[in-house]
Parts: sequence; structure tokens; C-alpha cells
Amino acid sequence: MSRKELLSKIGLRQDGRRAEELRRIRCKLGVFTQPDGSAYLEQGLTKVLAAVYGPHQVRGGRSKAQHDAAILNCQFSMAVFSTGDRKKRPRGDRKSTEISIHLRQALLAAVKVELYPWSQIDVFVEVLHADGGVFSACVNAATLALIDAGIPLKEYICACTASLANNNVAMVDISNQEEIIGGPVLTVVALPMSAKIVHMEMFQRFHLDHLPKVLNLALQGCKDIKVILDEAVRNHVEDIGSTTGWSNTTTKQ
Amino acid sequence: MLTTKVFIRKNKAGNFLKNIREHYLRDDINCGISNCDHCVPHLNSITPPTNENKSTLYNFNHYLILDTNVILHQMDILEEDVICNVIILNTVLEEVKHRNLPIYRRLNNVMENSSRNFYLFPNNFHIECYVAQDKLEIINDYNDRCIRKACVWYMQHVPKANFILVTDDVANRQLALKDNIHCCSVENYVAQLESAANLQDKLAHHEFQYASKKDDIFPPHLTTVEIHQGIKENKFYQGVYHASRDNFLEGYVTIEESDESLTQIIVQGRAGQNRAVQGDIVAVELFNISEWTVPSDMVLEDEGLVESGVDEVVRKETELKLSKGKKAEDKKPTGRVVGIIRRKWRQYCGILQQDGDATNLHQLFVPAERRVPKIRIQTRQGEYLRSQKIVVSIDLWPQHSRYPEGHFVRALGPIGDQATENEVVLLEHEVPHNQFSEQVLKCLPKIPWIITDADVAERVDLRHLAICSVDPPGCTDIDDALHCRTLSENTFEVGVHIADVSHFIRPGTALDLEAANRATTVYLVNKRIDMVPELLSSFLCSLRGGEERFAFSCIWEMDKDAKILNVRCHKSIIKSRKAMTYEEAQITIDDKTNNGAIAIALRNLNMLAKILKRKRLENGALVLASPEVKIHMDSETMEPLDVEVKQLFETNSMVEEFMLLANISVAEIILEAFPDCAMLRRHPSPPVTNFDPLLKVGQNLGFDIKVDTGKHLAESLDLAVKKNNPYMNTMLRILATRCMMQAVYFPSGILPRSNYFHYGLAVPLYTHFTSPIRRYADIMVHRLLAVTVGSDATYPDLLNKQKSQQLCNNLNYRNRMAQYAGRASVAFNTHLFFRNKVQDEEGYILCIRKNAIQILIPRYGLECALYLQTQKCGDVVLRAFDPVTVRLSLDSSNVQHERFVLKLVHPYIDGFSVQPLSVPSKRKNEIKNKKKINEKRKKQL
Amino acid sequence: MLQNIHIRLAENRVNTSLAVNRRVPKIFTPGEIISEQREFMRGHGTYEEDIYLKASVAGVKEQVNKLISIRPLKSRYNGEIGDVVVGRITEVQQKRWKVDTNSRLDSMLLLSSVNLPGGELRRRSAEDEHMMRQYLQEGDLISAEVQNVFSDGSLSLHTRSFKYGKLSQGVMLKVFPSLIKRSKTHFHNLAVGASIILGNNGFVWICPTMSNDEDNVGGFVQNLEEVVNCILALAQSNVMLFDTSILYAYEESLKYNVVELLVPEAMVDVAILTQHRLNLCENS
Repeated sequence: MSRKELLSKIGLRQDGRRAEELRRIRCKLGVFTQPDGSAYLEQGLTKVLAAVYGPHQVRGGRSKAQHDAAILNCQFSMAVFSTGDRKKRPRGDRKSTEISIHLRQALLAAVKVELYPWSQIDVFVEVLHADGGVFSACVNAATLALIDAGIPLKEYICACTASLANNNVAMVDISNQEEIIGGPVLTVVALPMSAKIVHMEMFQRFHLDHLPKVLNLALQGCKDIKVILDEAVRNHVEDIGSTTGWSNTTTKQ
Repeated sequence: MLTTKVFIRKNKAGNFLKNIREHYLRDDINCGISNCDHCVPHLNSITPPTNENKSTLYNFNHYLILDTNVILHQMDILEEDVICNVIILNTVLEEVKHRNLPIYRRLNNVMENSSRNFYLFPNNFHIECYVAQDKLEIINDYNDRCIRKACVWYMQHVPKANFILVTDDVANRQLALKDNIHCCSVENYVAQLESAANLQDKLAHHEFQYASKKDDIFPPHLTTVEIHQGIKENKFYQGVYHASRDNFLEGYVTIEESDESLTQIIVQGRAGQNRAVQGDIVAVELFNISEWTVPSDMVLEDEGLVESGVDEVVRKETELKLSKGKKAEDKKPTGRVVGIIRRKWRQYCGILQQDGDATNLHQLFVPAERRVPKIRIQTRQGEYLRSQKIVVSIDLWPQHSRYPEGHFVRALGPIGDQATENEVVLLEHEVPHNQFSEQVLKCLPKIPWIITDADVAERVDLRHLAICSVDPPGCTDIDDALHCRTLSENTFEVGVHIADVSHFIRPGTALDLEAANRATTVYLVNKRIDMVPELLSSFLCSLRGGEERFAFSCIWEMDKDAKILNVRCHKSIIKSRKAMTYEEAQITIDDKTNNGAIAIALRNLNMLAKILKRKRLENGALVLASPEVKIHMDSETMEPLDVEVKQLFETNSMVEEFMLLANISVAEIILEAFPDCAMLRRHPSPPVTNFDPLLKVGQNLGFDIKVDTGKHLAESLDLAVKKNNPYMNTMLRILATRCMMQAVYFPSGILPRSNYFHYGLAVPLYTHFTSPIRRYADIMVHRLLAVTVGSDATYPDLLNKQKSQQLCNNLNYRNRMAQYAGRASVAFNTHLFFRNKVQDEEGYILCIRKNAIQILIPRYGLECALYLQTQKCGDVVLRAFDPVTVRLSLDSSNVQHERFVLKLVHPYIDGFSVQPLSVPSKRKNEIKNKKKINEKRKKQL
Repeated sequence: MLQNIHIRLAENRVNTSLAVNRRVPKIFTPGEIISEQREFMRGHGTYEEDIYLKASVAGVKEQVNKLISIRPLKSRYNGEIGDVVVGRITEVQQKRWKVDTNSRLDSMLLLSSVNLPGGELRRRSAEDEHMMRQYLQEGDLISAEVQNVFSDGSLSLHTRSFKYGKLSQGVMLKVFPSLIKRSKTHFHNLAVGASIILGNNGFVWICPTMSNDEDNVGGFVQNLEEVVNCILALAQSNVMLFDTSILYAYEESLKYNVVELLVPEAMVDVAILTQHRLNLCENS
């Protein structure tokens, strides 16, 4: 039995948060000039970079192109220094491939690919530091990068993890330490405004009775994250808009 | 919800991974003081000012802030109600948890008691109390600094209240004084408390003024680092220290995880044992082969007094050395304890040594457990305590002290009193036996309890069936009942109805948790410690005759050959026609004139049971035996009147067969439904080496005992019969029983399927279903089965493999302890019965040792040693299993350890044996009649 | 070899934002409801769900009569007829070239839309088709004008003017298309000896001004680099690119040498000063 408790008697977690509190999220849009859109996101100590290219002409074989929608291509990679012990290779292993596929599925739920037939959108995410909730941080960063690239989305796509402490209390946004101590981890990708669940993933099991409360907390986490992301987007737009004097939008009239 | 963040970096040994963790500092943490001007009152964390700490040291009301060392060492003081209004800092709590888990649990219990006003303040998450650890600072200094910082914060935060830091760390006190914090040591504080005169006895002493004056008696222990280094380099071994029962200067260390054949290292003498106490995890150093010794068979008793030096020990050590060293081939690995890895000290029951001055401040405590050394304690009430059984715990064992130093915890009652002895038995076996708490009692159903229509709707109504229960006389917790009806000429419907305890004990309630912790009802000779409150155990759940009760029924259709055609389980309502004893049932069966429904049912049941038993034995089920006795008590004086072997009827076996069948059927059903978390019971097949003593005896007697499989063993035991000694077969079975492993509960998911086997019963699957009133495992099985048959829903812990495993561990531990406690209680009462009595009894030689013969006296289920001076004496030859007659008397010279003294009566040996007492012949006949094979009821299997 | 290598931690990074003028119109973000009435028409950057008109990109609302659209501050190039673009040949097909113009799909340059050597109004023969690769091959850069926009958003280009055509001997920069200010002319000859084509698609071409005297060959490289770095500095701080801004930036950058202009602080400094001067002009 682990000596460490996920949630102490006074309701504080190992790192001092309460069960329903997210870690600190800091993010920035437009961190690169080369890609069409890019973003950097910190969720606690998990640090992720995302870059979006496109929509652009399908490269490498026209056969892949679709007549009614753009291809969404996602690539997930983890820097070799991102985990405690050095990784052998940053991408291409089973786990990375799986996460890439999941990321694509999650993003497809909101990206309006149908607007761009014959083209392709590339999303690259790179984890610089993994400290729990890697996939959800990637989804959030990719959302920001897509918005930065001006690619139409139905709405924000937010992801959040949740777990069950002491087999009873749901807690949100699981850190690496908490993942190690134990407990199942439920990752939920949602469209927070319409409260739709896009993708759900679970490591280990817990009893079905607990699912509603864990799921609700994860969804609430997604909504909280959306507010944070939205604020970052607005700040970014204001920032750019006021330097360029809103010229490319207003001068035309 | 403002959070700030700092990074705490930790380096782990090995690959030097850099772990970075977040640490959020909060500004929303309540200080816990109700009249604080800054904090919003917090519901559960109030320290109201109503209780007052009264101390002459401080003439104002105050709050206590405790240092870690106080909690770790003075838990007994903290458990006293006079200490209240205490702030526990999280830093302290974490350290306590890290250093000592049992203390941590006790502290938690204290904190949960709301009248004590303990408040847990998470200072390390508080934005103003947090201090960062300096690079070169050791963790202890850092923690002390955190504590002082929190004290200072409290003083500033609530200026109108007073805070006192209690710590035994002198350096910490000095630093605290610099910060203007009131502080004092525990000793000072307790000494000045107005309301507690005897509290000082409970102080643990950790500093000794005269330390420097005395010479060291023991070699020093190595430091933790040196020990780990040594173990890594294979210089030392890690193991559990066991003291010898008879020789206080000898012990052995069982080595865990050794790849070699080395499993035990003998340690001898003061230097060898080096202050290890029974159960401690120690590091031992192995001597060269030339220095190895032979384990001595001497009996050495520690006769020291409180203030006596080590001369006596030195003398005995020499004695020990001289006594052996004869045969080289008997030499065993020998070594010495070089350090203690983890102390396993607990609280010990015992008495004060009677000789010496009773008014002395220092007294010597003699534990009931012989493997534990005497303990020196300080007390001001020595005279009173000498008449009491008391509980004492060890504080430390300094190098210069012959005995470990400890302190008095509490008194249990007068020595020799039955209630006291029961208490001792329960404590020594860690049986939870407190009154049920308010919370638990609140979970009980309201009285009068009525069956509602809704209950009827979801249960099968079996009230029309002729159901009856068969139990031992005086049984109030009836958890099983039977019925049988004839369906057609060749088919019967047989039902086993088990009390539906899980209906009343809902998962997760206080009642459930309490029952899970108790795990089993413990039966002492004159006392029953219930697993569930009496309202349930003896009334609502008990399937009493003529009353409507809820049951869980397992119903088979069988043909005449007891072949099961089908089985079904469901919850039901039953009305038992009659609650019978085994004897009554037997009479009913035998009474040919009785043709009532119940009589017919019983006869059919009996018929089927016989077939079932035959089949079972053919499959290789073992018939094991152990002497079990019943003690008749005088209902008024509560003194044992008579001790006799339990009587068995055919009906015992009948009930047992159907219970086994129900258990097996249910095991199959729940395993199918829950392959991962079904609670089962397995009995591992013993390793062949376990049978060595049995094989040896078998050879001596000329029997070929096969032990390769259970079936062969059963068959060979059946064949081992001698005409002239009918009891011999039973003796063999008793021996065989001792070779067995313990049967254990386990959740199915953790083991491969092949390990589910139950060796003793020779069935592939087994569980416990039939006694939910007295066993928690059965409640779990009931819940699983209820889910399977769709009458209840699952809940999280039920399906959690880890949780089930933890639960099983507890159940197994408690069961074992309950068994030991039961035996200890019987032993005590047998002693009580034999006080001032001398009797000649028939017995059988169980085995022969070097200087003694182990004799079993079936009438009392006693096993005693007859000590011999020489191996040979005249032309009388004694062999194992030979019947003998011995004179039995009780030696009460040792108050705590009374023991039987045997003297040989028959066969008569000149100069050794004694003349027989005149035994009334009537008594003898009686004994012969009762000499029935006492089959051990499968309760424990 | 370089003597100084600057490496800095992320926490020391320079804030390149120049935002001073906080005249903020209402900003819409994806999923936000623009209007609850059905009377409006759905334009770019919006979509309808249930009865709502919602934004699908982050940006500012533009309304033309009943047509509402949200224009993101940054996106791929959306071509309009008459735009000047700089592009790169990606593919040579029958009778046409494919050109990467930073648009969603590759643009098309028909053989019939180029001026072939030897007369403007010559018929395109089969031989010309075989000669296409000699004229423009994969990787070549061209400047062109948008002739037509197809329904799928792809562009048709033409180079039928003397000022368009194949580009050589210069430097191409890529900036976000939104930073290129639309103006009458996108061809500028800066006084410092550099010619600039500010392609509407965000591709900027810089080359030495073609002059008749070949003497100052040695000097122009330096100026060219300065101009390149100035444009990068402006782009990094999101300053609109047009002739004046580039000129101002060039003038402000004279106090730094070329290498120093790559230091973030210097880049921001240049951008700030440029912005300041532009504001002065605007206000006066």
C-alpha cells in the first residue's frame, strides 16, 4: 500500500491543490513565424509546443487528397529530455502513434475541414516536459495553434484529465506524481460550449458508480480550461490587432 | 484560490533523476481558531475556547503546538483526554507518517475525536508559513524551522491567543525562545498539569542523566548507512529476530530473501542479541564456521532485579558456553546482531516483578509473552500496580542498560481475574473488542422490525417450507437452516438457508467498516466478541425457530444418489419451524415413531449427507483431527466446572456436509460471474518436507504413509490402524493436521486458477458462504452472490482487486488471531480448572524428545511434556503413540505462566514413576465411553 | 567565424509586442455567438448552428449589409483579382505551371498567360509546350498578378506584363500575408539600392536595383542584408509592411550593423522607432 495519499484528510493534494483545482495554465499564441499558426502551453509543469501548417496543397501523392474535405495530419512527439529518464526516440513508437491518431480524431470533431477540399492541414505537437496529462495539454495547445492559424473551428476543443482519490473523491487535472501514486486516469476531450464529449480514454479501472462524478469533474475542467484559453486568444488578437492598427480588417471598408 | 508556485527538486539515488514537482501555496487556509478575526469560521476545524488547558506552568489558556518527537515518543500521553486544544502541523504529521505508521494511525484516531480539539494545520501549503529548504539544511532542521515559522505566524495571526510549542528537542527550544515562542518539554508540561497526577508514569523517557556514569553493557549498533552498506556488500544479513521461548540468552534470526540455504542464524548472549526484541527487523553478521555453535536446549530464566547489574547475566552466559560445543555436526550458523533496521515494538501485557521494593520509582515489568525481555519502568504507584495486569510499552534500550526502558500505559485489572485474563488474551492477539461506537449502532435497523410488502416483493417466499436449524446447544447466532422435500420418487429438493446479513450491513457504512475490521466473531470460553452488534447477531439475523427471517437460499435438486441436478440461489423469506440442537436432531432421526415433516426431512438429509460424505472421501478429502474440548462453566461464579471433549453426533456431520456443498456451489457461481474479484478460500498443499515428522512416526510404527497427494495421504491414513490401540489412528491424524498449511481467503484475480485448490477438502473451488453472522468473508460472498442473482448492485470496492486483497489479508490475520485467542482462553480456563487438583489421566505419547516425552491427554485436549533425566531406565520401552497414565498437577509458582507438571504412573518405572491415585472406577468407565474420535469440524478449513 | 554566439533562456526572451494603441473592437472567438437572428447572411469565418450564427475563427466582425463575416488576423493568403504575388513553381504540367503562392491550394499559371520570348501575340505551339521547363522549372521564383479566382479558392495567375516574370539574383522572405499592406503599387525601388516586391501573399522579394552603372556592385550586398533584416524585424513585431515603413525601418537601423540587427533587442528597437514615426506621420 502506498504511503502517500492522493488526497489528504484536509482535502489537499500532494502539491497543495484541492480536488477540483486545475494546475496553473500559461499559454502563448504565435510563438513561431514559420508555421501558419503556433502555440506554447504550460499546464503545471507539462510543457507543449504546437505548430500548424496549412491548409495547403496536399504534398506527396495527390491520391490522398479528398474532394470534400481537407486532410488533417497530426504528429505527436516527445522530446527525448521530456521525461525523467531519457527517451530513446521522440516519435514513431507505439504510444506516440496512438496519441497522434487520438489527437487527429479529437481535432476532427471541431475543425471545419469541409471548407478546404483538396487541401491538407498539418498539426505538429512536441512535448518539452511531461508531467502528467500530456495528451490533454497537446489537445489544448493544438487548439490554440489552429486558432492562431486562422483555421475555422466549431468551437474550442479542450481536454482535461480526472481521477479518483481514495476510491471516493473525484479530482481533476492529474499530475505525473499522482499518476504514479496510482488511481485511474480518465482523459476527456470535449467541446465545452456544447458540452459534447469528443474522446474519452481511461487507464486502469474504477467502478461504474464513480464514473458520473469523475466525468463531470473532467468536463468542468474542460470548461475552466476553455475560459483560460479564450482569454489568451483574446489577448493575443488584441495585441496583434492594435499593432497592425486593425488595418487588414478595417481599412478595406 | 490564489496559488503561487515554487519548485522542489528531489534527487533520487541511482540514476539521479531530477524530479520537479509543483507546490502550490495557498492563502485560503483556515487557522482553525474559532474566534480568529481574519479567518472565516470553518465548519469541521474549529478549536473552540471552551476546553481549557490547565497548567500551573502557564497561567493562561493556551493552544499547544507539538513537535514531531513528542508525537512519536509520547503517544500514550497524547491519548489522554487532558491534552486538548492542540494544533498539529502538516509538516509534523507527514514526518510522523514517514517514521512510524502505527503512531500515525493512533494520532489520526485522536484527531478524529472532536471533543479533544485537535486541529490539523497544513502549514507547508500556507503562503505565509511556507519556508524553502536551504541547500545544505538537513531535513530535521528544516522541519524544525517550519514548525517555528508556523508558531510565529500563529502568534501574529491571533495575537489574543497563546501558543505553546512542546518539544523535547533542546536545540529547537533554544531557537524557539529566540523567536519569543513559549516552549517547554513534555516532561515539564505534564508535570505541571493540574488534572493529571498519574500522567507522569506514562511519560516515555528518552534522555538519561546518568548515561555517562555507567559502563556500556552492550556493543553499539551500527548506523543505518553502515548497515545498508554492509547488506549491499553481503557482509550482513537482514532478518526478523525471534527470541527463544525458554532461554533468554538465545534467539535466532530468520533471513528473508536469501538465495543460499541459509535461513536461520543463531544469536547467543548479550553481545549476540544486542538489544534485539522479538519481532524486530535486524541486521546480523555471520561468524566464521569455526565459531558456530549448537543451539542449546538449556532453560535459562532471567532472574534479574531492577537495579541488579550484569553479573548474573555474565554468569549465565558462561554457563551457556560451557554447556555445549560437543558435537560438530550439530553446529548451526551463528552470528551476532549488529544493528536494528526497524523496531517492531508494540504494547505488552504483563505484570510487575513482585520481589524488590514496591515503593521504588523504578520497577521491573515482566511481559506475559516469554520472548519479550523484562522492561524497566518508572512509576509512582508501584504498590497498586503490583496487583494488576498492566500494559507497558518500550521507549528505548540504551547501551548501558540491562533492560529496555519503558513506560506504563494502563492497568487492565487484578491478576488472575478472569475478566483481566480475557482482556490480556484479546490484547495480545490484537482482537478489536471495544464497544460498538455510536456511529455503528446508528446503522442498525429500527426496532420493532417488520417485513414490508416491498421486502416480500423482491424475495422468494419460502415461509411455507418445513425449514429447521441444527446447532450446538446454547447457540444464539444461528446462521444456517435446512430443508428437504421430496419432489418425486427419486428426486429431492434440498435447501440451505443462510441468514441474510448483507441485507442489514450495507457496504461503506460504519457498521460495515467495523465488521470488516473485526473480520470474525471471537469465541473465548466464557465470552463471545461479536463481529456485528448483538441486535443483528442474536436477533434479526439469527434464524430463530418460529420467526420470519430474511435468508439467502441455495437450493438444489438432487437424485437419490445425491447427484446434483440443478442449483439455484436467491434471497428469500423463511420461517424456521424449529431451532434444534445436534442432539435433538439426532433423537428426532432415531425416533422411528416420529413421522412429522421435519423428521422425514432430517432423515432424507441424513441419508443424502452420508452419500455426499462418502463421495467426498473417495475424492481424497482428508479427515483430520485435533483435540477440541468444551469447558463447562458455572453460570454464577464463572468458574470452570468440568472440561470435556466435545461430543459429536451424526447430525454434526449432516449439517457440515450441506454447508460444504453450499460453499462449493456458491464458489462456482461467484467465480463464474466475477473471475477477477470473487472471494474464495484456498488451502495450499503442504510442501513434502512438512510431513517429515509424520513419516518418521509412520516408519516407526510400520505404516507406509504416502504424502505425494492428498488422496494418497487420506487413503494411507485410513489404512494405518492397529487393533490394540484404537486411538492411534486419531493420533496420526492429529500429527497430519499439524503438517498442514493454513487455509486462506483470497480474491480470485490475484492467483492463477490452478492455485484455487482446497487441499483438505479436495475440491477445486471453495469459499465461505454459510456463516455471515460470525465471518466477514461470508458477507462479501453474499454480496457477490446477490449481484450475480440480480438482487443487489455492485459497489466500487467489491470489484476492486487490490481492495479485496487488502481485505483478505486482514481477514486471514484476524482469523488466525481469533483461533489463537480461542486456544489461549481454553488453556487459561483449563489451568483454572486444575488449580489445586491432582489427577491421574490416560494419555498417549505424541513424540519423544531428548529430555522429555510429549504426551497428549485427549480428555482435556492437553499436550504436555514429561521431563526425563535419562534416556534409558530399566527395561521399559516407550514408543510414540503408546498409551500411558500420568499424574497431572498444576505448577502455579510463576503467576503468569502456570504450567502442568506430569508424573508417570503407568508404565511403572522404579525411582521415577509415582503410585497411582485412587481414581473412582466410575470415572474411568466414563472416560472410555467418551473416547470417540473427535473429528475437527471444518470450521477452520 | 563568428565570435559571439548568443544563447538565451526562454525566460529572458524579449517581448516583441508593440501594442500601445488599445483601440479594441469587439473580438469574436470560435464558437461565440454573433447573432441570434436569422436575418443575417453567413460570411467567411462564421457558421450556423441551430438558430445561431457563430464565429469559427478568432477575429473581428465585418459587416457588409446583411453579410457578416469574421476575419482572422492571420490566415493563409486569400487571393483577389489584381493582387501582386510572388510564388514558387512546384510543378510543370501540360500547358500550365503549378505555383505555390502561400494559398490554400497551389495556383495555376497557364502557358497562355505568360509572355514568351519573341513577340507578345505569338501563337503557342506544341514546341512551346515542350520548352516549358526551359522557361520556368520547379523551384523557380516568379512574380505575377492574380488573373482569376476559381470557385474552390485556387488562383489563376498571369505574368503578361513587363514587370512580372521570373525572379533571380535576390532574396525571398516569407511573412504572414496579413502584414502586407495593400497599396497601389507593390513594386518599390528604395533609394538605398534595393528593389522590393511586396507580394500580397506574404512573399517578399528583395533584389538590388537594376541600374546601368555597374560600379557599386560591392556595396549593395550590405544594403540588401540590412533591408532583409529590417523587414524581419518589422514582421516579428507585427508592423505592417509597405514602402514607408520599410524605409523608416532602414533609416532607424543604420545605427546597428547587419549582425547586430539579428539581436532581438535591436529588432524590437527598430520596430518601435518605426512604429513611432509612422504614428507621427499618420497624426500629422
